[in-house]
Amino acid sequence: MSLLAEVSGNVTAIGYGLAAIGPGIGVGIIFGQGVQAIARQPEAYGLIRQNMLLGFVLTEALALIGLVAPFIFQAI
Amino acid sequence: MSEEKRRPEDDGRDFANAAWSIPSYLLSGMVFYGGAGWLLDRWLDTSAFFPIGVVLGTVLAVYLVYRKHGR
Amino acid sequence: MIALTLLADPDQFKAPTPDELFQLPPIIAGVDWFTKPVLLAILSSIIVLGFLWAAFSNPKIVPRGVQNVAEFGYMFVRDQVARPFLGKDADRFMGLLLSMFFVIWVWNMMGVVPVAQFPVASHIAFPIVLAVSVYVLKLYLGFKTQGVGGYFKNMMFPPGLPKFIYVLLAPIEFLSNMIIAPFTHAVRLFANMFAGHMLIAFFSMVGFWFLFEQLSPLGAPIGVLGVLMTIIMTGFELFIMFLQAFLFAMLAAMYIGNSLHPEH
Repeated sequence: MSLLAEVSGNVTAIGYGLAAIGPGIGVGIIFGQGVQAIARQPEAYGLIRQNMLLGFVLTEALALIGLVAPFIFQAI
Repeated sequence: MSEEKRRPEDDGRDFANAAWSIPSYLLSGMVFYGGAGWLLDRWLDTSAFFPIGVVLGTVLAVYLVYRKHGR
Repeated sequence: MIALTLLADPDQFKAPTPDELFQLPPIIAGVDWFTKPVLLAILSSIIVLGFLWAAFSNPKIVPRGVQNVAEFGYMFVRDQVARPFLGKDADRFMGLLLSMFFVIWVWNMMGVVPVAQFPVASHIAFPIVLAVSVYVLKLYLGFKTQGVGGYFKNMMFPPGLPKFIYVLLAPIEFLSNMIIAPFTHAVRLFANMFAGHMLIAFFSMVGFWFLFEQLSPLGAPIGVLGVLMTIIMTGFELFIMFLQAFLFAMLAAMYIGNSLHPEH
């Protein structure tokens, strides 16, 4: 059977690419909805801002865990 | 900066500051505690401290951002 | 099935590798440092110098021609970059921020100029030089306004945390501000330009290969798709090029502003 496609190079890069999809969508949703919320209710700015930042931290942490995950699995 | 002199631009500046510094906080938490764990692993010839350090660093960085910006 | 094997066969179509895209030979044989990015960087500085010289060497009250265009750029940098982060100190740093913004923009635009076609910032040395100079300026201003001890104290020990937590969090603050922040400052610009150049090169390679080198009924639609994607990606890159120049100048203003007015 002939090979249909072959992957060469570093496979962890593909893993990080896949791992970055979710946080990318998440950060987009957080800031998009946050800006919309501020536009609708400017007086609630402080509260919205705080929750936007918290959501952003938690989502970004996932993206960065994806970045270091290959190193972790190499160590184990 | 005193409270009565705060202008609306200051809020935007603080927000940009916070949002741009978050990735570097998370990265440095991972690098510092993950690096410490990695060194421990090399020293004690184990393999558990590096993942633990990475997760601990992430948690501490999230906590730092929460205390600084989440109020 | 046949079209797929045609795509996957390594002897048929090879995607451009970073090596052949970015390891360019010297223009003059023997002078190793003088490669295409260096030439383009010098050219961009001359373009920016000439542009700003033509605009502001003999300014008129009622701006005309090139002065009009340059004033538009000046207004943009002042209102979007300098004033929000520097406040009343904005005018002192306009020279730095304006030239930085324009030079990076022209560097990046070299990626779509027909003959040049190489974004200078996709060699990491160029962003690193700018990021390091901003970093040195940031440290100098911080030491000048807050003192050496005060600068590190404000940076590493933000008020309002329980005492024992400082031991755990101070290293994170230090590493984040002193090493990771300037690193990401440079890498953000570099990585965007690098990836954008790779993307455009890949899609134009697909178009060239399937339409000119190996024209076949099955390959032609893929070639057309490649050309279409090249056009779309070039438009997208034009936007990214502007955005990254703006972000680099904005982050520089942010670091300088944080050194000048520490948060209390």
